[in-house]
Amino acid sequence: MKLLMNLVYILIFPGLLFSSVFGLWLAGIDRKILARMQKRVGPPVMQPTYDFFKLMGKETIIPDNAARSTFLLAPYIGLASLIVTVLFIPIAGIQAFGGVADIVVILYLLTIPSLAIMFGGSASGSPFAGVGVSRTMVAIMSYELPLILIMLAVGRLAGRGFDMGITFSLEKIAQYQAANGPNLFCWSMIPAAVAMLFVIPCEVGAQPFDVGEAETEICEGPLVEYSGTPLAIFKLSHAIKMFVMTLLFTALFLGGISTGMLWLDVVIVLGICAVVTLVCMTLAHAITARLKVEQMFRLFWTVIAGLALLSLILVWIGI
Amino acid sequence: MIQHFPILSIMVLFLGAFLVVLVGRSRIARTAVVSAAVLTSFALMVALIKPVMIDGQIISYWMGNWAPVSGYAIGIGIEVDALSLFFGLLVSLAVMLSGFYSFKYITQDDSPDLFFTLYLMLAGGVMGIVLSGDLFNIFVMLEVMTFAAVALTAFRSWNPNAREAAFKYLVVGSLGSTFVLLGTALVYGQCHTLNLAQISGLLSVNGINPTMTFAFALLFTGFGVKAFMTPFHPIAADAHAAAPSSVSVLISGVFTKTGVYGIIRVSYFLFKSMGMSSMQTGLVFIGCVSMFVCVTMALNQHDFKRLLAFHSISQIGYILTSLGLCSAIGIAGGLYHAINHTLFKGLLFLTAGAVLYATGTTKLEKLGGLARRMPQTAALFMVGAFSISGIPPFNGFVSKWMIYQAAYEKAAETGSIGYAFVTVIAVVTSVLTLASFVKVGQSVFFGELPVELENVKETPLSMRIPMWIMAALCLLTGVLPGLMQQYIINPAVRATLDYKGYIDAMMGEGYAAAHLADTVPLAEAKYTFAGAWDPAFWLVLFVIVLLGVTVAMMIGKSGRGAATAIADDKHDTFFGGEKNTFSQVGGGDLFWGFKYNFRRYLNVMGNAHSGVVNDYVTWGVIDLALIIVYCFIFM
Amino acid sequence: MMLVNYIGAVLLLATGFYVMMTKENIIKIVIGMGIIDYGLNLIIVSIGFNEGGTAPIFTMSELKPGMYFVDPVPQALTLTSIVIGACVTAMALTLCIKLYEEYGTLNSSHIRRLRG
Repeated sequence: MKLLMNLVYILIFPGLLFSSVFGLWLAGIDRKILARMQKRVGPPVMQPTYDFFKLMGKETIIPDNAARSTFLLAPYIGLASLIVTVLFIPIAGIQAFGGVADIVVILYLLTIPSLAIMFGGSASGSPFAGVGVSRTMVAIMSYELPLILIMLAVGRLAGRGFDMGITFSLEKIAQYQAANGPNLFCWSMIPAAVAMLFVIPCEVGAQPFDVGEAETEICEGPLVEYSGTPLAIFKLSHAIKMFVMTLLFTALFLGGISTGMLWLDVVIVLGICAVVTLVCMTLAHAITARLKVEQMFRLFWTVIAGLALLSLILVWIGI
Repeated sequence: MIQHFPILSIMVLFLGAFLVVLVGRSRIARTAVVSAAVLTSFALMVALIKPVMIDGQIISYWMGNWAPVSGYAIGIGIEVDALSLFFGLLVSLAVMLSGFYSFKYITQDDSPDLFFTLYLMLAGGVMGIVLSGDLFNIFVMLEVMTFAAVALTAFRSWNPNAREAAFKYLVVGSLGSTFVLLGTALVYGQCHTLNLAQISGLLSVNGINPTMTFAFALLFTGFGVKAFMTPFHPIAADAHAAAPSSVSVLISGVFTKTGVYGIIRVSYFLFKSMGMSSMQTGLVFIGCVSMFVCVTMALNQHDFKRLLAFHSISQIGYILTSLGLCSAIGIAGGLYHAINHTLFKGLLFLTAGAVLYATGTTKLEKLGGLARRMPQTAALFMVGAFSISGIPPFNGFVSKWMIYQAAYEKAAETGSIGYAFVTVIAVVTSVLTLASFVKVGQSVFFGELPVELENVKETPLSMRIPMWIMAALCLLTGVLPGLMQQYIINPAVRATLDYKGYIDAMMGEGYAAAHLADTVPLAEAKYTFAGAWDPAFWLVLFVIVLLGVTVAMMIGKSGRGAATAIADDKHDTFFGGEKNTFSQVGGGDLFWGFKYNFRRYLNVMGNAHSGVVNDYVTWGVIDLALIIVYCFIFM
Repeated sequence: MMLVNYIGAVLLLATGFYVMMTKENIIKIVIGMGIIDYGLNLIIVSIGFNEGGTAPIFTMSELKPGMYFVDPVPQALTLTSIVIGACVTAMALTLCIKLYEEYGTLNSSHIRRLRG
């Protein structure tokens, strides 16, 4: 029975099937709303789903220069680690495998998909991929500093509520928010939430921070030699990553909203995910241009890290 | 019977060294002697796990049976508690695996018999340090070890830079030995004994007078030189790059750990100074500076082994930081990271050696695309790179996770935000480590294969087997941290905090109670985790998901990989329509965004590592002066 | 407590460190290492000195309580240290010869191919 329950968690909700469907839907509304903001009609909301199935039917061309096994295996490792991450983040109180992982684990697990893209691109042997790998790594270096500061701040806030000093466990953070209201409503958490809104597009690879996969500059960087099913998997991972990051934002800052009915809670959480996507990814995409690599690095290590640091100091001194 | 195992374990290595001199010419005899020596030493260490770690016994052995007379130690003592056995296991494992690797690897150099003599002397010296219970014995073994390491650094006659590296290593290394000897002499002048247990007892009674503070600073700095603490790290970079790779494994994995072991013995046992918050702050500060400076220097390097050397020192910075926190979880994290570091750093150096063996160079600009010719070496490199960056489920993640927890808990406990920044610096260093290894991966193993490297072959099997064993251990220690902690780490942590038991085992029962006015507990020996991490569960989950995804999605048609008969340009690399020329994005061209923002800092650091031996000595002496002043002000 | 010895030893150590830090000829650096060794050995021997004691050379039958002799342990430590110093000097001078063969100079600021 437990095994069957676990399989349902892994494969259906909130695992593979649910996160794929919802992630692709998020990607779809992102493109549609962006088009409307730019006074275009835009593709149908189901377009990313159509793209996914179309790519699966195409031929996989492996270049001569590529290291075969890494090239073919990388997308699946990225997808698998994303699914594992989704299973550890609580959705409206449902946590598939509670008590097994904490936010440091999630932080490291979230680097694995980017690592998969980098090693896959590296293995393809193309110079565009080499440049893309370099830029993607600089993007990872940029957002990790603010992200760890944000997580330390939230952990300290929740831990103080439990008299433990600090906590890293997402379960405890959810319980703290259930008892004291969402974290966003504390004054000290607002800079951290703003910083997180900047970290999300950088991690997902959305404009204005998508230097790693700049279509116009380096022909999509690490993905240049991919085609067919592996490319479909990478696109799916991109969509699921949007879902995972916005879900993480909800779990850290807007948890604890409960109306008493489970399905309504889940719908609210998913709605918040969609709103966050629209705010930080679509809106930013529509009104800004792509930042250069060194500008992005400087922005994250000075301004965004400064905001997160402010939040950490405020939490520490007790506001 | 088991009383004799520690001394046998040391002597077997020295005996092996002498025998290799006699029979060295014949390859079979040499291989047999070396294998027998390292295997026996490792087997003796493993045989001691049950009595020492599981049952909690402390083995003490007086050389020549000179037992203490009326509470006064007059002989040289060997004392093995769980901490010593922990380091002994680590040492003998690294020596064994690296020794098996060297059999094939050293065929590219001349005089292999001299190599193995020096190798076994180095191994014997290191075993002597970690198992010894006498301060001057530690010094003598330290010197034996330094000699052997310097000679092995200068070993390659076809590498013109090896002599420069060896000379600098000798000069700065002898500086460290000088500090240790001066500290030992001062301690002797105060306590009139050289036995670690008795000194520990006497110093708690008599208190710490200014001479002893001076001696502490000297001993700490001396062992810090051996552990390649921050101002002493440039020589490590030179030495690792010049030495043969199997020796680099020993220098980075084993030699540095003796420095860490010395620091633990001096601060936790002899002077019991770790309880003081000023000492904790000092050691944590040194560790953080080591971590960050070395990892940013590593991003600038153009040589594979020099880059690995800088990372090695950065990881030692992690260990020192974690030990400086002086809480049970901190010590556990530090010790776990020590064994992980030996494993994954050893694996990476052996991979670098394999690349050197196959291609003849380690310069990042000249390599590229080797994964197609050496697929297993590339896979092993990726295991090592993921381990050092701390990607789950490999072992680097577990120890780093414990270090982050320890630092942040210390911050919550003491209420000072400085320790929270230690966590932040540790995470940032981890990301920069990942960056370096992506750089190495892209420039060495992936990308385009240069024309002159078309004919390289895969690493020979006898070199691959130790590498696979190390990779398997990396995965195992990552997936089974519960077992590791229960049987290996926790006894060592308890032994670190229980200096009373150590004294009693050596000097006879009741000595500690008679001499120690009150036993000050350094820290609580139990810990609870602020988070949760259950890797075996997670790994099973990951495998299930991976299988499910792979099975469900592998329905696309796959095109050809290697060249087949028909030549078409569908399988060429995409160049935007231009002609397909060789263009490999090499090591020096990566991470421009980061290097541009840090350009002034990287410039200053690059010029500071000037390569002139006088500069390194000056840094060393200034650092000693600063540590002495710090100790006098705060203790 | 021989004050002259200790002051002399400290002066030797300081001279040795000064030579190692500032002199550019690598043979002079090796000489500096030797001077540090001398200073160190002087300190170790002086620690063991007892005013008015005799040399600690006895057979078992001659030892009676109340005999006053200097401490033999530091003398043993010094012997070991002298031997180690000799070996270090030998190895360092060998490396100097090899460095001269390779680089053609004995100046340490020109022997710096490994840097950065």
